Amino acid sequence: MNQKTVNISRRNFLKLAGMSAAGLTMGNFLASCTPKETGPVTLNVLVPAAPDPAPPGVAKFSEEAFAKWQTDHNATVVYEAPPWPQLHDKMAANFASGQYVHDVMYNCGWVPEFASYLVDFVDKLPADLIADLPKSSFSTVTWDGKRLGVVFTLSLLTLFYNTELLQKAGITAPPKNWDELKNMAKELTGGGQYGWVLNYGAPEGIGGVASYWMTFLQQAGGKVYNDQGEPAFNNDRGVSALQTMVDLMPYTDPGSISYVGINDATNVFTAGNAAMMMNWPFMLKPASDPASSKVVGKIGTAILPSGPVTSASIDGTDAYTIAKNSPNPDLARQLIEFYLDKEVQKRQVLDTGWLPIRLSVLNDPEVQAAAPNAAVILEQANYPYDSFVTPDYNEVTTTIGVEIQKALAGSQSAAEAIQSASDQVTEIVKKRQ
Amino acid sequence: MQSTSDYNRKRFRMGIWFITPALLILLTVLAYPIIASFVLSFQRIRFAGNGLSHQFIGLNNYAELISNQLFRESLFRSVYFTVMEVIAVSVLALLVALMLNTPLGRHAFFRVVLLVPWALAPVANAVLWKWIFNTNYGVLNAILIGLNIIDKPIVWLGSPWLALNMILIADVWKAIPFIALLLLAGLQSIPPHLYKAARLDGANTWQQFVHVTLPGLKTTIVISIVLQSIWALKVFDLIYVLTHGSPADSTVLLNYLSWRETFSNLDIGYGAAIANVLFVIMFILALLYIRALRPRQVKEKRSGTK
Repeated sequence: MNQKTVNISRRNFLKLAGMSAAGLTMGNFLASCTPKETGPVTLNVLVPAAPDPAPPGVAKFSEEAFAKWQTDHNATVVYEAPPWPQLHDKMAANFASGQYVHDVMYNCGWVPEFASYLVDFVDKLPADLIADLPKSSFSTVTWDGKRLGVVFTLSLLTLFYNTELLQKAGITAPPKNWDELKNMAKELTGGGQYGWVLNYGAPEGIGGVASYWMTFLQQAGGKVYNDQGEPAFNNDRGVSALQTMVDLMPYTDPGSISYVGINDATNVFTAGNAAMMMNWPFMLKPASDPASSKVVGKIGTAILPSGPVTSASIDGTDAYTIAKNSPNPDLARQLIEFYLDKEVQKRQVLDTGWLPIRLSVLNDPEVQAAAPNAAVILEQANYPYDSFVTPDYNEVTTTIGVEIQKALAGSQSAAEAIQSASDQVTEIVKKRQ
Repeated sequence: MQSTSDYNRKRFRMGIWFITPALLILLTVLAYPIIASFVLSFQRIRFAGNGLSHQFIGLNNYAELISNQLFRESLFRSVYFTVMEVIAVSVLALLVALMLNTPLGRHAFFRVVLLVPWALAPVANAVLWKWIFNTNYGVLNAILIGLNIIDKPIVWLGSPWLALNMILIADVWKAIPFIALLLLAGLQSIPPHLYKAARLDGANTWQQFVHVTLPGLKTTIVISIVLQSIWALKVFDLIYVLTHGSPADSTVLLNYLSWRETFSNLDIGYGAAIANVLFVIMFILALLYIRALRPRQVKEKRSGTK
């Protein structure tokens, strides 16, 4: 019988494997020695996926202008756009590695935390651009006297309300103070519908339950920290702020305690099942989309009700920053200038709903017509909107948020919650120092 | 001519060369992170400049663990979660395996359907259950209200123990298929003549189950308990998607706590210490698993005559 067999001895096999490995290594070495052609410079950019605030190329706006910018600057912008909740972890891991990963990064309340990894580039921006930005917008991106980022959307919490539900209840205007808020929420609750909805399920960060309490705290004239950086909220202002949230609970959609993201609460509002909520400006766009909203044409916006002292809000602090180890910091800055270009900012609001940060664009009649809440946001910006960001913002807000959740669930009083939160934040602040 | 021992020594050395690449990969992917994690747990690490600053602090992170109420509560919850999951999965998976081991159950359709929960990606599974448990739009509330079992929606993820047990249910649902198939394989390895003999001796169905099935499945059950314990301790995706540890940290288990301390609070050393505690627990379980896998030595009973 004729059989064709291939004999591979161990020796021959090892020789073949060794020669293959040597060949591969040589190939890589030769490739690395080859002079690189000069081509477009690559800019790596980390931003959230839409519908969170995203730049051209991720969100659908100013696409032609973006392509032209890349051509004109001989640059290729490569985006990494994970869902918003993953951004902080990605940046933490990237910075910890010490390796260059991104040139430009979106930041949201984390600038103090990552300050040592960021470039203070704002002074190199054109003077007319800086003059067109609200001065207060730099408060959350400034640390140790350095401006390490630039906010690109005026994103303050304001009140959204269902005009039809208010009208049916005989209410002619949105609440102007805490008493009106509580009374109206009570009036508007019944028949499967609730006066108030919000996401209390996540304690930490901007848009977590602690940050909502900070809104009420400022309305009561309070602050999280004193001038020495020590907790300063264990007082009647801190307690009354939380008590107001607790007082609203009987008229709050019961699922609120379990909603982790703002979208969970927004869904209840746009389904017409809740009459009022706090939300970010972008909400107006999806809430006005007939494909996903039952309250199209029935949405009113107003500044947040005043507490004993004032109306107040918090800043979403959506900003662009530049990494210290970026090999192209100047080009990265120019990209940020493009994102802040007047026309790009205008398309940002018209196409995505995220308001511009440039005052000239906010006051544009076309923008005001398309984004009726722009005037409300501008008015809200006249009142305090401190987000109290610190390097340990996540840890502080988690700590405060957990105690707030216990009070909202009724397992401890507002006073006990604020006392416990203050004690724990004091320990965190000691570690910081 | 080579002696047998020379040949075996040469063969052994050649074998070492062949497994060296795989060993190197295992050392890099497994051993290095484990050792690095232990080293990190003895340090206070801060984000500074380009990289991290390291300060050796000995056992301070572990001392902080022991005195930390949240760690103790998370450990308790993790143990509770693991024990309840193992009991629920073992019982339910055994029921499923017994049903699949019947003439009707042997149809391929049932095995394919059984695999669907197991095949779902963990995050997809979590998102699915997030919608099932949704207070206003979830199908669970819709079914219960439709059947008049409840008259208003329940906030499944809104109160501490309820939220933890709903996460448990979601994880049990996903875990049943694999364990059921494991037990089914065990059932099919029990010689049928044992059941015949039992029937001839007058044993009813329950007695056959207790005296033939369970002893025959003993090793498989031990293996599935150990495996399930390891998987239950690792649960993360469900907590991250469904509750983020809420309400009021009542669904924070050890793995989630380790992630939060490391990535959210940037206390890398402390987070590594928590991860190492989890690693030690799972390592002990893994040793039990390996022990359970060892072939049983059959002890021959002396019958009185040789």
